[in-house]
Amino acid sequence: MLRITCPYCGSRNESEFLFGGPVGTERPDPNTTSDADWIEYLTVKPNPLGPVQERWWHARGCGEWLTIWRDTRTHDIVEAPNDTE
Amino acid sequence: MGYNVTINRQGLSALFDLKGKKGAMSDHAGGILPVFPDQHNTYTQSAGSTLFHIGRNHWILRGDISAEDTLISTLKPDQAPSDVSIVQVSDTLTFFSVVGADAAQVMSIACPLDLHSSVFGADAVTYTEVFGLKALVLRQEGGFEFAVEQSFGDLIQDYLDRAIA
Repeated sequence: MLRITCPYCGSRNESEFLFGGPVGTERPDPNTTSDADWIEYLTVKPNPLGPVQERWWHARGCGEWLTIWRDTRTHDIVEAPNDTE
Repeated sequence: MGYNVTINRQGLSALFDLKGKKGAMSDHAGGILPVFPDQHNTYTQSAGSTLFHIGRNHWILRGDISAEDTLISTLKPDQAPSDVSIVQVSDTLTFFSVVGADAAQVMSIACPLDLHSSVFGADAVTYTEVFGLKALVLRQEGGFEFAVEQSFGDLIQDYLDRAIA
């Protein structure tokens, strides 16, 4: 089980959180983007072998949304890769 | 061997869910509320009311059920400004008290959170899990109190009875 650090409550069990999905690309303007790019945005989510940025909701806690980096190879919460903000 | 603990399912409390920035909440209802807790996940008490700071810009006010009408008339939920939300939630939570020498042991069966006094102090309160359900847990004199959704009250009572049997 993961231990996830809530910015409000501190370290808590994964069971207190709900997975909110990977952080995807910014929502493009549907009026100006191509159909292919729009479908790509809607249906293709990041699924790397390695660190992935994810949103989690502290649903059984304070209600905060938080963002973490999780390594899909080890299931460990990791620091953000150097080439990301 | 049983546990040296007393468990009581408590009657209704007057409960109000308060959301909004501290300044706005204080402007609207500061005169009625206990002093706002300095730290998150702590509570303050005064004049029979308890104020739980349980989330960002989120509090729960608890009072005696006999004071519910008075609290409604003074909190004036229907006259709250647009950046303040006050919702009466008295009938949504059931409180249990677990007190006695073995209260911490019983709570450790129910709740995965570290409830040692060095971590979970005398004025600590937080939402977490009790028997897998979302619950509001707080420390009280001689033990703990926790609240679960009202409809789970009988279930939790049964779980507690089995835990201490």
